Amino acid sequence: MILYRCCFSVLTLCLGVASFLAASFLVGCADSQNGGEVTPSNRRIILLTNGNSPYWDAFAAGANEAGAKLDVGKEGLQVVVDRGDFSPEVQLDKLRQYQGATDIAAVAICVTDPKNQALVNELAALSDSGVKLITVDSDIDRNNPKARKARFAYLGTDNLAAGKELGKAAKALKPEGANYATFVGVKSAANAIERIGGFAEGAGEGFTSLESMGDEGKTDRAKKNVRDAIDRHDDLNMLVGIWSYNTPAMVDIVRELGIRDKMAVVGFDADPPAIAAMAEGNLDVMLVQDPYQMGYEGVRLLKALLNDDQGTVKEILPNLGQEDGDIVETGLKIVVPSADSPIKAELFEEGTTFLTLDEFKEWLAKYNLTGS
Amino acid sequence: MSSSSSSNSPSLNSGKSFWSRLPVELGLLLAICAVILFTGIVDDSYRVKTAYNAKEILRQTSLLGIFALGAAIVIISGGIDLSSGSVIAFSGMICCSIMIYLAPQDDAGNPDTSNLGLGIITLAILGTMLVGLIIGTFHTWLITVIGLPPFVATLASLVGLRSLGRVLIQDITDGVGSVGPSTKIYISDPFFSELGTTWWIPVLVFLVISFLLWLLMSRTLVGRHLYAMGGNEEAARLSGIHTDRQKWLAYCIGAVTASIAGILYCSYVGEANPESAGMGYELNAIAAAVIGGCSLTGGIGTITGTMLGALFLRVVIDSVAKTVKGSPDEFEGMIVGLLVVLAVAFNELRQGTVSRKVFSRVSLV
Repeated sequence: MILYRCCFSVLTLCLGVASFLAASFLVGCADSQNGGEVTPSNRRIILLTNGNSPYWDAFAAGANEAGAKLDVGKEGLQVVVDRGDFSPEVQLDKLRQYQGATDIAAVAICVTDPKNQALVNELAALSDSGVKLITVDSDIDRNNPKARKARFAYLGTDNLAAGKELGKAAKALKPEGANYATFVGVKSAANAIERIGGFAEGAGEGFTSLESMGDEGKTDRAKKNVRDAIDRHDDLNMLVGIWSYNTPAMVDIVRELGIRDKMAVVGFDADPPAIAAMAEGNLDVMLVQDPYQMGYEGVRLLKALLNDDQGTVKEILPNLGQEDGDIVETGLKIVVPSADSPIKAELFEEGTTFLTLDEFKEWLAKYNLTGS
Repeated sequence: MSSSSSSNSPSLNSGKSFWSRLPVELGLLLAICAVILFTGIVDDSYRVKTAYNAKEILRQTSLLGIFALGAAIVIISGGIDLSSGSVIAFSGMICCSIMIYLAPQDDAGNPDTSNLGLGIITLAILGTMLVGLIIGTFHTWLITVIGLPPFVATLASLVGLRSLGRVLIQDITDGVGSVGPSTKIYISDPFFSELGTTWWIPVLVFLVISFLLWLLMSRTLVGRHLYAMGGNEEAARLSGIHTDRQKWLAYCIGAVTASIAGILYCSYVGEANPESAGMGYELNAIAAAVIGGCSLTGGIGTITGTMLGALFLRVVIDSVAKTVKGSPDEFEGMIVGLLVVLAVAFNELRQGTVSRKVFSRVSLV
């Protein structure tokens, strides 16, 4: 009994010491990440993502690069990438936290759910409190005047147009048509709906959607969804990945089942496993956005807004004041394995860059990226 | 009932039990003050925006505390309820479904949720609470009639209710209006959205439920029976307590409080989404109850302790968000986990000390 008490007391003491160290560590974190004492003059530029995936690593790389190049630290600013969990609730909590903090100068947010009025209300409240606010990657509902007024601008992809471009690529792969399934994190997310709709529109007649499956951002479930869809539909002959991690999940299952010869695989974004899969011949086309540019330009725009630097604002948003002048397209890339692909550059819109895998790897190397 | 349980049971108060149970609440109060003080020193948000942060912490504590109280009653009665997160998701879906069914239609024939009126909202809330009661009754039936252990019975609901919600929401949205099936229901009525976002409404609901449950547990025979059943179910049954009825009450309180929380969360988030709503919240509820002094073996715990446990959890989470400027979400789990272990270790130590004192006294006699 005495030994038990001694052990218990020692354990409690250890936990007490650990908590003290953790508290000290936290103070250290707070200090080191703000360059010293935390005062309102040390302000944060927050970039809030919709979730956590390698896609956002390229976004963070761009944001941090902008922070370093523009020397935001000199002005007492710090760039912080904060990640959601694909639910509007976490974004709501974070937006309310930002309103309760004294050091939030500007926020760029990838809106999880543009139809959600509670989210719009919090964005408006944050904007009204004096915080500079823009959207990246996924915008608010542009038909909602309150939402449009709350954010200054949107930087990112036109997801409907992006879906159409991937649909055109799919049509080039299977000119006779295909039975396809789409895989995404959250089916009700705005970018998911727009991309899936755009894909159907771009692919056109002869393409039939057999399944559209959501995985709530879970990669293990993403794989299970692919397996289930293949099990259910013998006539399925094309898999479409809508979010970045869906494409590697599709590739893994197709490889495992040995059905690559009868299955076309196409998807959004270029996670490192997707790039490797294309090099191995297991992926037909990637529609690549530019999260690096979104991160970089997002920080640049927010810094300009904080400093009232109208020259830079005008440079980023040349049509500001005109219809849709508050939208900046960060560009699309269609990446194919090689020039032998049936997918050709002339199929796509003028602003879309067409690259082979080798050219795309060169572009990644230029910005020191592993994916995009 | 064990001597240690009596130390935490308001229903079995003698002259000394108040003082012997005081340290749990007192310790938590001190810990809450320490965390607030630490946060106030490291970051100036609490000093500059005191009212905003206080209201926000109280609102979030209330949202968590409402169903943590239900979880605490189940734990005190000797059971466990793993389903509260799924009940929250399912209840939100039911509440919004009732509202869109009863909502007036717009020109396109779709439900217009922007001006529902008090009557529809009241009906939706009552209907949702009724569903909570049915879920609690179903849990009791699985446990007392089928003979499933509480862990398994509520685990089945944890998995099954969310899935059922995902299926139902598509059928319901398909049957209302012309838009077709959807995985979410949006409610834009301003009065409904006030329920979860105006800080004092969840706080008031939390305080009323806390008071009623405090009365039940500390001032009624039913409360004593719940403690007795949690301490030793067989002894309670042999002494004439209808343990099945007590279980029904405990699991219904657990499910109905989760339903109320589901309505408030739904109002706060502005949508019903059974895919992701309330994911993992059951563990937050159990954590709040355990931090507040509830023993997972049953028979021990208080309402005030659970209230403070919920407050402690929210204060710590908010403190991490305020003090870690880099990536607070990455640190949150680690810090909260550490503090939960510390709080429970403190309780265990205290209970051990109480037991030893009783043992010593008996020996001397």
